[in-house]
Amino acid sequence: MKESNPASIQSLLADLPKERASLLPALWRVFEADGVLTREALAAVGEALDVPAAEVYGVASFYALFHVEAQERAPVRVCTDVVCSLFGAQELLNALRGRREKPVYAATCLGRCDAPPAALVGRQALAPASLEGVDAVLKGVQP
Amino acid sequence: MRRLLPADDTVSPPLSRERWRDRGYHEAWERALTLGPQTVIEWVTAAGLTGRGGAAFPTGQKWASVAQSADPVKYVVMNADESELGTFKDRALLTRDPWGALAGLAIAAFAVGAHEAYVYLRGEYADVERLLEEALALAPWAEAGSYPLAVRLIRGAGAYIAGEETALLNSIEGRRPEPRVKPPFPTARGLWGHPTVIQNVETLANVAVLLAHDVAWFRAVGTEAAPGTKLMAVSGHVARPGVYEIPMGLPLWTLLTAPEYAGGIGGSGRLRAVLLGGAAGTFLTADECRAARLDNLALQPFGASLGSGAVMVFDDTVEIRQVVRQVAGFFAEESCGQCVPCRIGTRRLLEQLSASTLDIERLRDLGGAMRDASICGLGQTAPQALLSYLDRPSLWPRTSKEEECHA
Repeated sequence: MKESNPASIQSLLADLPKERASLLPALWRVFEADGVLTREALAAVGEALDVPAAEVYGVASFYALFHVEAQERAPVRVCTDVVCSLFGAQELLNALRGRREKPVYAATCLGRCDAPPAALVGRQALAPASLEGVDAVLKGVQP
Repeated sequence: MRRLLPADDTVSPPLSRERWRDRGYHEAWERALTLGPQTVIEWVTAAGLTGRGGAAFPTGQKWASVAQSADPVKYVVMNADESELGTFKDRALLTRDPWGALAGLAIAAFAVGAHEAYVYLRGEYADVERLLEEALALAPWAEAGSYPLAVRLIRGAGAYIAGEETALLNSIEGRRPEPRVKPPFPTARGLWGHPTVIQNVETLANVAVLLAHDVAWFRAVGTEAAPGTKLMAVSGHVARPGVYEIPMGLPLWTLLTAPEYAGGIGGSGRLRAVLLGGAAGTFLTADECRAARLDNLALQPFGASLGSGAVMVFDDTVEIRQVVRQVAGFFAEESCGQCVPCRIGTRRLLEQLSASTLDIERLRDLGGAMRDASICGLGQTAPQALLSYLDRPSLWPRTSKEEECHA
């Protein structure tokens, strides 16, 4: 996966109004393109929208779905919150962690308590989630 | 009782123009335009509609205060950042009947004089996002009337606190989603400092069905103090987890056990407790579950409220103490860290709940300080479930040393 550079970020964000309110949509665009928000990319987003780089970092690092370090096209998250943990969430998380090299994240409530345990692979929700289900989604994702 | 959720025999596809008409939203929008802003607000007030996101603030009052503002720039925002623990009713509603809340949003904008509206959707709901994008492209309200309205969809990126209304405004503005100090309330100074109406998805869907009928119809269901229906998200140990629409005031036991609702206690079949209202909710014992009725007035004697409509059900194999610790973990993870009582308090609660014995006096003291001194609802309500647990010794572990500690 090739990361964006300042020039490609400029063009990626070209149609967004050059204002602070474009920040969250801009971060999503870069994150979906790169699977990560690097310091360089955050600086370029700040440049493009005229927002200080430190504040761009402050916003980006606040949100659980953005990664400012690990790079992965489709990060795996397993909900280990109250209801999902009654239905095998921890076991699923442990099993996934045991067989993946990349990190598997524990998430707070994903809002799918009607079909526990829930997981997110990238932005795709699985409920109920299983090892096979997660594998199937990952198989369809470009590395 | 189905008002917001379409009947099972509804055949029109959720995003079709037929559905827009079948559900009466075309009529509702036309009626709003005919009645005029003032009368629409009078209807909403007379219907006794209150916010369905958790705070239950009177909707008409909110709209009137924004409508009265001399500021020519106003905004309306649909809060679809549903992230409360155990809550998935807005996802179900937007999936099964996306037009309702959007019709309500258009009506709200018209009533207060806003020409820009925002839909703020949690980033974890990619499936709902696709529906909403399609719906906003179709925008049937733009054809029927002459009222100019631009609606933008904003995707959150994973932050429970962004559902707090002022944090949500900050998120839209491209700032860290940290809550603002209130007052001023968003009705006075909201998005970019302009008067703003923020409503939960379900509240707006109620507006649409109200305008599709009339005030008397709306009040015919529910209680005098809490007219209408409520969506309840039932999960955990029940036969049929899911979202159910109930008349306000329905006995909780009926929701848990009736065949048309959750259909009975699951798991071991023996109920231990219910956590009602989300992470910031209240534990009810099995006996209380048999006595409680689902409206805020009736829940007061139990120290409970409907909150977000979450009903998490635990059978007698579940150690409630463990659930309390998980809830504390949730808040410690999701605290934005802006104010001290919440940033430190949520951590201390988690530490103390991870210890083998609980110091009840200190927990109550800490909980009280957080409730009194935190900036926003997160910190203020973070100790709520814990305190309700401490008030109910029958939920404590059988081998508990907590009583000794208390003595």
